[in-house]
Amino acid sequence: MKFISIAIKDFKELIRDQRGLFMILGFPLFFMLVFGFAFGGMGQENEPHLLAVVNYDQGTNFPLTNEEINFGNNFTEVLQDSKYEDSDVNLFNVTVTTESEADRLIKSREVDAAIIIPEDFSQSMVQLINSNLNQQNILATPEGTIPTSNNTTSVIIKGDTSFSNFGVSQAILVGTLQQFQDQTVSTISETISPSTAPSAEFITTSIESVPGTESFSMFDFLAPGMMVFAILLLATTVAAALSREVETGTLARLKMSRMRSFDLLFGGLIPWSLVAAAQILILLAVAILMSFKWQGGLNSLILAIFIAVIGGIASVALGMIIAAFAKNDRQAANLGTLVTVPVSFLSGAFFALPPVVIGDFMGKPVQIYDLLPWTHTLNALRAVLTFGEGLNEIMYSLGWMIVLTLILFVIGVGIFSRTRLRAEN
Amino acid sequence: MEEYVIEAQNLSKDYSGFKAVDGLNLKIKKGEVFGFLGPNGAGKTTSISMMVGLLRPSQGKVLINGENVEKVDKIVIGICPQELVLWENLTCMESLKLMGDMYEVPGEVLKKRAEKLLQDLFLMDKADTVASKLSGGMKRRLNLALALIHAPNIVVLDEPSEGLDPQSRRVLWNFIKSLRDNEGKTVILTTHLMDEADRLSDRIAIMDHGKLLLLDNPTNLKKEIGEGDVVEMKLNDPEKNNQIIKYLENMHLIESAHVIDNHINIRALNAVGLLPQIMRYLEDNNISIADLSIRQNTLEDVFIELTGTGLRE
Repeated sequence: MKFISIAIKDFKELIRDQRGLFMILGFPLFFMLVFGFAFGGMGQENEPHLLAVVNYDQGTNFPLTNEEINFGNNFTEVLQDSKYEDSDVNLFNVTVTTESEADRLIKSREVDAAIIIPEDFSQSMVQLINSNLNQQNILATPEGTIPTSNNTTSVIIKGDTSFSNFGVSQAILVGTLQQFQDQTVSTISETISPSTAPSAEFITTSIESVPGTESFSMFDFLAPGMMVFAILLLATTVAAALSREVETGTLARLKMSRMRSFDLLFGGLIPWSLVAAAQILILLAVAILMSFKWQGGLNSLILAIFIAVIGGIASVALGMIIAAFAKNDRQAANLGTLVTVPVSFLSGAFFALPPVVIGDFMGKPVQIYDLLPWTHTLNALRAVLTFGEGLNEIMYSLGWMIVLTLILFVIGVGIFSRTRLRAEN
Repeated sequence: MEEYVIEAQNLSKDYSGFKAVDGLNLKIKKGEVFGFLGPNGAGKTTSISMMVGLLRPSQGKVLINGENVEKVDKIVIGICPQELVLWENLTCMESLKLMGDMYEVPGEVLKKRAEKLLQDLFLMDKADTVASKLSGGMKRRLNLALALIHAPNIVVLDEPSEGLDPQSRRVLWNFIKSLRDNEGKTVILTTHLMDEADRLSDRIAIMDHGKLLLLDNPTNLKKEIGEGDVVEMKLNDPEKNNQIIKYLENMHLIESAHVIDNHINIRALNAVGLLPQIMRYLEDNNISIADLSIRQNTLEDVFIELTGTGLRE
């Protein structure tokens, strides 16, 4: 079995070239660390959002009890007391202050956002409550319902729109305010008429999170992309290794023997596939350390290794094509980078690309990026590691990946054999 | 009847108009050491690459044991390239086993053969050393061992002693002789070293500009350009060299006179007998001699005579 001897040779060369091995494993690792640090928050995703509250609310008399009430103060307390789901960490770190001080805090980014509660906030809340009770005929009298005015008020959320933290805080604040309104109305309705049926709802909204993504960070989305990037970089390393074999003459020496193209290229697949598998394990371990929320347990790990091996084979095939055109290992490394980096982007390893649908297959739209096996490697890895999905859920991606890898491998073997393994002209 | 193992028939190689090899015809006998001599760029390596099937000829064909080289079982030929072609991260033994596997040498035979080669080439104590840690001489010997691990009948050695010290060269020469004398192998040798070609080759082909200039055994080659002696003379005033050359060219019995490395090289059947006449001419013309020596005709003289003294690369 000559291909086994070639595999052993390649494996020994790979292991003994410690600098090269460090580059193969270290370069993607470095990317994973950088991305993890930038987007993972290193376990800080439950940090309170810094918020300035400017409360102008004058309060009002609540008509049913004739009590003085200040919903602005209540809302401020809600903001101070809100906590992350299943956590003791406060949602906001609230600073009650003046508007001018709030502006200064925003400019110096000492707060992520400021909320300005208007002076008629309580009045508006009372109107909202009355309107709701009237609809349910709870306050119906012989004279009719309690009159409600159409006055509207506006809670202002202020911040630096160029500051990403403002975007997040703003979204949470809008939700919290809506929740405060709904809960206040429903609590008062319950207090007045516990037996009253819930008010009619024409549109209901419910938010459900995908399992495991309750505290999903950007990094959870990006980490599988880094793994695909690492797998793609193998193409550069394989191309450089094959070109080195040409340049040093060892390929000519092998060509002089009874070795066939199959032995060289299939034998080479084995160690490189092992490298792809090792990369996944190492990168996953680092990603987990960098706060990646791995789903699915041992099964997902086995599936991820399988996916990585197929992705690795696709990269080896790409490496053969690059090596067929490179004159030496330096040129192969440059050409490899020139090819693998754009392919990484096109596969969506760094961010999702705009949809470019070119057809339809099995009821699913086929994007132009779907012609790259690594797009499916990414989809499958993300499904398995980030969302904890099983083999059945990734069959579509897996099928594409295997077919495209086979096509690419046949092309790679063909081109490399034609240019490098025949007698020179 | 003599048995030929390799036959080149009208072999040519063109590189965009440049003829690296031009109509080479030669036959190599079984069990001989066949030397290829020629300056850099003469077409030796190109000829050899075509003869072992690594390079496709533009014209002509190569027969090995009467069969076209493209169809010949690769186990017949072993090539030791000019450059060191080694896997730097494999040990000597691993490299030999790899190449043995590639030639489908059975495991037990391979082990014994690898050990014998390492022993014969004084590499046994480096069997488990990676190639990158070997000295230049050791690397060259491993380079040779890799060409022999499958026990080929034809061994092609492309400048095998390039860069070797005299001790390593002697080991290599003895080994090459033993390949022919003890194992009956046919050895094709390209070299720049006249001494090497002279000592080892049964026949020598001198090539230049892609063409075969002469093919014969070393003794006949030396006779071809004249038997006798070579006088080498250095004048105190090198500017007078051309004047002397002109005089010598017209002198009876002088075979040739050239300036090589600032020395006047005179070849003549009886150079010693001609010396008084030459000395008289020098005296009459007030030309003084800085150095003078007389030696026997060598292969290098043949080589220079045929290929000239101009630098090639």
